[in-house]
Amino acid sequence: MDDLTKEFIAESQEGLDRMERCLTELETRPGDSDLVGEIFRAVHTIKGTTGFLGFDRLEKLAHAGEHLLGSLRDGKLAVTSGLISGLLHLLDGLRAILMLIEETGVEGQRIDDEDSALIAELAALNGAAALAVTDSASDVSGRAIQQAVASPAPVVMGPAAGLSDKTLRIDVEVLNRMMNLVGELVLTRNQMLQSGVEATNFPELARRLDSVTADLRETVMQARMQPVGNLFGKFPRMVRDLAQTCGRNVRIEFSGQETGLDKSLLEAIKDPLTHAVRNAVDHGIESPAVRVMAGKPAEGCVRLRAFHQSGSVVIEVADDGAGIGIERVLAKAVERGLVTAEQAAGMSEREALQLIFLPGFSTAAAVTTVSGRGVGMDVVRANVEKVGGSVEVESKVGVGTTLRLRVPLTLAIVPALVVRSGGQSFALPQSALVELVYVPKRDEEKAVERMGTAELYRLRERLLPVVWLDRLLGLETGGAEEAHGFYMAVLEAEGCRYGLVVDDLLAPEEIVVKPLSAVLREIGLFSGATVLGSGMLALILDVGATAARAGVKPVEEEVVEAVGEKIEESEISLLVFEDRVRERTALPLDVVERIESVPLEQIEYAGGRALLQYRGELLPLSDDGNVLAELEQERGEDISVTVLICGTKGAEGLQRRGMIVRRVLDVSGGTLIDKDAEEGEMELALVKEKLTMIHREFSVKAAPAWKEVA
Amino acid sequence: MRIVGHDEVEIQDENDAVSLCSMFAGDESFGIDTKKIREVLGKRDLQRVPMAPVYIGGVVPYRGEVLTTVNFRALLGKGELAEVNCVLVLEDEESGERFGLVVDAVGGVVTVSRKMLEANPCTLEARAKWLFDGAYKMQTGLMVQLDPQKLRPSRLAETGLFKERANGEQACER
Repeated sequence: MDDLTKEFIAESQEGLDRMERCLTELETRPGDSDLVGEIFRAVHTIKGTTGFLGFDRLEKLAHAGEHLLGSLRDGKLAVTSGLISGLLHLLDGLRAILMLIEETGVEGQRIDDEDSALIAELAALNGAAALAVTDSASDVSGRAIQQAVASPAPVVMGPAAGLSDKTLRIDVEVLNRMMNLVGELVLTRNQMLQSGVEATNFPELARRLDSVTADLRETVMQARMQPVGNLFGKFPRMVRDLAQTCGRNVRIEFSGQETGLDKSLLEAIKDPLTHAVRNAVDHGIESPAVRVMAGKPAEGCVRLRAFHQSGSVVIEVADDGAGIGIERVLAKAVERGLVTAEQAAGMSEREALQLIFLPGFSTAAAVTTVSGRGVGMDVVRANVEKVGGSVEVESKVGVGTTLRLRVPLTLAIVPALVVRSGGQSFALPQSALVELVYVPKRDEEKAVERMGTAELYRLRERLLPVVWLDRLLGLETGGAEEAHGFYMAVLEAEGCRYGLVVDDLLAPEEIVVKPLSAVLREIGLFSGATVLGSGMLALILDVGATAARAGVKPVEEEVVEAVGEKIEESEISLLVFEDRVRERTALPLDVVERIESVPLEQIEYAGGRALLQYRGELLPLSDDGNVLAELEQERGEDISVTVLICGTKGAEGLQRRGMIVRRVLDVSGGTLIDKDAEEGEMELALVKEKLTMIHREFSVKAAPAWKEVA
Repeated sequence: MRIVGHDEVEIQDENDAVSLCSMFAGDESFGIDTKKIREVLGKRDLQRVPMAPVYIGGVVPYRGEVLTTVNFRALLGKGELAEVNCVLVLEDEESGERFGLVVDAVGGVVTVSRKMLEANPCTLEARAKWLFDGAYKMQTGLMVQLDPQKLRPSRLAETGLFKERANGEQACER
């Protein structure tokens, strides 16, 4: 196949994808002439190019379609569902021929004259301009077409995925920038080679190399990013077809189509997502009659939502259907022998919902016996987990089900904390890291308490299971541990929360994830390996699997909330710090996400405001104590600032900002004594018998406009 | 012209000659066809992988990949030598699996005649039968031929032959 044809196919497929989207939209907004124009253009372009390339069959079909669309554009025809179906058949027909060309290089023989029925249908639609097209007539011819179209399809299926999935359209701008950066990289290398390690400007060169590499990485990542909307595009059609066959009335809504996701990840979640949407229509949404009986609108709604959340992309498939009946799930799980009846009886709602992800839960019979979800959900989960993501499900009977796919932004690079245990280095993904606790030597005895064989640590009056990494992995316990106590990383993954004891903490690093060979993957504790800055390898710990191996079970969220409320009634947990000199200030602990130590030079300024680039977000920084100005004057090397990363749930989701403090003093409970009338958002409290100011509602200051600029 | 080594005289035919890379583990010598060796890395710091089967020597960075290595001493049931090691990179053409082999030392390239190869003796125990692929009768002693195909970590895991010596109870549990 020559380049021209390849280009034509890729272009036409894009055009047809666009046409598909427009067609389903046209059905909801029949009067939109822009949409008709768009569809007309797609077909017209194909017709024009095919004539030129000599694909007669394609041209003839496209011509028939164009003629019909022409009438539609001129307002001679009204948009009916019959017309839309006819146009969708045209789309299928064009697509089938394109696939055939892609596979064989020719458009196929015309002996059986598959297209004539389709062309006749289109002509009939066109001819019946004034007359209302009877649905039954178009259905009959439609079915004939579907058969005609379906017959070549299976042959073509395999390679069809080939061309368009392996190629990627990149903005020339991005490519140019990449080339510039590569040029810069070469120049820097040359300079480094010429000057040698001893040269005075070597540190400067190394720094430049660092920044060029970072820029290059960013640009390559950007080039790989594709809007999730590309994936969503095919769903309206699928939902329409599926709804028709299942006798449902379904509308599909999108938001966050522009959210970018790595191309390879987009491919990886395509099937799971398709499955989830199909499930939502097929099993989630009830038939119109049932819906009306339940007091819901006859038209069901499937919502697809994509958004960023703490370093990963979340894609939600929500329906307002029947929801999953817990009793039925449990009954089925018992019936299939996945759990015993006693186990089932003791299960919480959340645990029970997780059962639908078990392999073997769903079989062909499930479709008929249980009208809940759960067809091939184990496959959905397996596929998403393969790329380092996770799947959650939430459901309320009668209200609907929400399936949440959480996937990392990119597979390749993750921020991680490197720790040492038993003389080896391990990397813990930052996404799972909640906080770090240092237990000095003298407190070691008291810190870890025992209950039977289980070891526990009291973290703010809650017991946290303790897992010793060296013991779990069967490593020799090093002598280093005795010297200075130990560190505990509080980790959270898949609903499990536990403290992982390690000997030492090394630097946080952005690590490049390398896959492990099959034999090592089988161990199940490591998700990959990485080369550290020192040239040594470190294994990346799979936090969820480690929890499972150590026997840590997911905690009930409901219980956690209840405990949290109880504490709040009597007193609140506060993080006490110093920002203005000699003043003690505090924040409610639950708004503080992390405490970061940030090098001074990483803090940037724009429009007179201090900003921090933090995990792909731009955080506005507040500096009540003028710490920055003071540190700026010291001007030494390696000055770092303590920043509290605070997040509150506002109207537009989670809002984050940073707060610069002099130093962090303590975490403790306090009792409010007085509201400070002058400063509306501050309150006074007694914390350990000392007067402390408490920030309230601080997030209001972070103007939403800032987010958009970022 | 008679002075030329004994080995060379025996090789009359080009097709008959095999060049082997000789290597040592303990006091035995082994040989692998040079065509099957990608690279000899020499001494490397191996990063151990906890909970891995005992014959896994660890991982090393190699050309942007993480290479899993097989410890040949462990396969033979010999204790480990921490200080001396030499890593070879082998690649299986069929499966495309790339892995490292850790031996005590690598000798050099020897050209031998196929005729000098003799198949495994029937008295060989099962594990050795899996690992060894006959031996060349050299003047200095026997050089055991190894088949990289069979040393692939995934194959070793499949056979299950080397499991019971694996990392104590935890590994057996799996």
